Amino acid sequence: MKRYDLIVVGAGPAGLSAAIEAARLGLRVVVYDENARPGGQLFKQIHKFFGSREHKAKIRGIKIGEELLQEATDAGVEIMLNAAVTGLFAEKEITARVNERILHRKADAIILATGASENMVNFPNWTLPGVIGAGAAQTMMNLHGVKPGERILMLGSGNVGLVVSYQLLQAGCAVAAVVDALPRIGGYGVHAAKVARCGVPFYTAHTIVRAEGGDRVTGAVIGELDKDWRIISGTEKHFAVDTICLAVGLSPMSQLCALAGCAMEDDPAKAGYVPVVDKYGETSVAGIFAAGDVSGIEEASSAMIEGRIAGLAAAHRLGFLDKGDLDARIAVQEKALAGLRQGMFAPGSRGKTFTRTDEGYPLSQNLLRKGYLDAAEISAYPGITPDKGLRPVIECAQNIPCNPCQDACPKHCITVGGTDGNITALPVFDAQKGCTGCGLCVASCSGQAIFLVDEDAGEVTLPYEFLPLPQKGDRGRALGRDGQEVCAAEITAVKTAGVFDKTNLLTMRVPPQYAMAARFFQRES
Amino acid sequence: MTRIKEHPILGVYPKGELVEFTFDGQTLRGFAGEPVAMALRSAGVLIHRYTSKLRRPRGIFCAIGRCTDCVMVVDGRPNIRTCVTPLAAGMNVRTQYGVGEEK
Amino acid sequence: MLERKDLGGYIAAPDDDLIVCRCEEITKGEIRHAIHDGLFTLAEIRRFLRAGMGLCQGQTCGRLVKALLARELGVAPAAVEPATARSPVRPVEMRVLADNQERDDG
Repeated sequence: MKRYDLIVVGAGPAGLSAAIEAARLGLRVVVYDENARPGGQLFKQIHKFFGSREHKAKIRGIKIGEELLQEATDAGVEIMLNAAVTGLFAEKEITARVNERILHRKADAIILATGASENMVNFPNWTLPGVIGAGAAQTMMNLHGVKPGERILMLGSGNVGLVVSYQLLQAGCAVAAVVDALPRIGGYGVHAAKVARCGVPFYTAHTIVRAEGGDRVTGAVIGELDKDWRIISGTEKHFAVDTICLAVGLSPMSQLCALAGCAMEDDPAKAGYVPVVDKYGETSVAGIFAAGDVSGIEEASSAMIEGRIAGLAAAHRLGFLDKGDLDARIAVQEKALAGLRQGMFAPGSRGKTFTRTDEGYPLSQNLLRKGYLDAAEISAYPGITPDKGLRPVIECAQNIPCNPCQDACPKHCITVGGTDGNITALPVFDAQKGCTGCGLCVASCSGQAIFLVDEDAGEVTLPYEFLPLPQKGDRGRALGRDGQEVCAAEITAVKTAGVFDKTNLLTMRVPPQYAMAARFFQRES
Repeated sequence: MTRIKEHPILGVYPKGELVEFTFDGQTLRGFAGEPVAMALRSAGVLIHRYTSKLRRPRGIFCAIGRCTDCVMVVDGRPNIRTCVTPLAAGMNVRTQYGVGEEK
Repeated sequence: MLERKDLGGYIAAPDDDLIVCRCEEITKGEIRHAIHDGLFTLAEIRRFLRAGMGLCQGQTCGRLVKALLARELGVAPAAVEPATARSPVRPVEMRVLADNQERDDG
């Protein structure tokens, strides 16, 4: 039987990060993954990540995936693909199916990084072709270049539902609506806002009544829910769609942990049935660790840090890293993790309702219910100043862990969290620092929430990630935050640059009185 | 058009050679190496099988090989997950009825 | 372990024909009926109805069956006894399992 120092199950962000740390310290490491490609979901995540520089903020998931694979190769990590681990036993033995064979492997430590599976919701006709998971939609369009459908109804407004809705628009599909049973949008407001300004309506406190169609989806009916989760009769709405996409949450895929005899708990804050782990990610079975979504659903940024911690801890357990070194390195990782686990979307905030930001600003109820800031609400936030003349308008109104705008500004006009460096604080704009209108903040904002506005010239510069890219002189309509037409607009500049990483800057001219309302451009068809 | 010609972030997708295969005897085209299910979806085929008990149609659901809803009879073998099976020239893909081919 | 209690007889509901387990085509009504017959755990329902025993191994319906059990029993989903994990956790054909010999491997 082949033996390793460390076997990692799952080649996603957590598993690769764990393998890299351990291999760099000299462990003989193998990673098993059931998929044909490594990287887990990273290669489907074409958006820019949140967080801080240390969390690889403003870098797209696909690029982070490539970097991790390169690091793994450089560190000497062996990656076995198309290798589904079918069993894990307390003696730190695994069985894996490779081709037509079951392999047995042993190691001195095991790190489980098996990730999550998608939750599903059942409704009449949910088995029809055309009802798919949000992961399926991402796989089809981002890995294989195939549109999942032409017109899609999205069920679920967590970050997955919002991000995939935007990706569907980028792929050239129409999104008929985003529906959520909860009375508020579950994911980041900035993700919702970039979907809403394209004209996609949000239906919160609504659920699907049925899918329609004989042998494939031809439509969907939704209805409004009362406070007892019953559909209010007479509120049914019909949508002609060919695809219904389900994004109703993820569950930790923890069967292998249970199989190995690890102590388990059902923890709603971790979104399901997870192994009990200590600060190193070690389960109740010595030498078996868990990292990433398998031990509690979070973002990929957190999974990478948990992976690094588990990799370091496994190295320590096998004598490749002494205790002092371990603690010093873990302290750095824990600080990075703590930075991500703050604010209203942190794992510890699950199920809580917030009415104000950490700073005490009232939370936009319109953003939570409809997906966009109302014109009456925007002046409340510190990134939106009453200054005149060319300046950034930072429509960032929720405490999310993110600060690339601060790093992007060469004039240091934007600060996030001040001296204490709390990256979930709302960005503050200071006109006195001398904004030059370079637009780097617009391109670097992972939430696409920054616009350059000049009321005097009647010009608005917005981030744009669609094809075909409008050209200077193109005429069309300016849409508001709600996706409705505001006024006529003409493109006066289009900026693309390597440093923008495919977020193009469109400058459109509008009547000056609409400069604080116009947020998207639609070419005349 | 189901194929995305050019993507604003991903650009042009790297694809294998354009090959022919058959679906229930009909000749279709797809790219070698892409999942059979993607070639079918691009050709407008959504129904992969009919279930055993209720004879209801099923198609792509998870697209990553977990749910097994997209299984078909491929080159005579039933229960092949078409979302994770690479397309090859000359493949014989058939709608699955229950656990095998139509009787 | 949940206390075995009498839930009263099964009363049909209008959405009982809703599919819960896609693989084995098990309906909500069949599962509700089984619960009212005294099957209070995922393991029992799996053995009796095959819900969660199909090709996907309960990955799709596991959470739905659990929620249904919790609702009928009047408890939180977390209070329902978790399904037993068994190897193989991924479907493997019998011929592959039977040919379980370590040979020259990569």
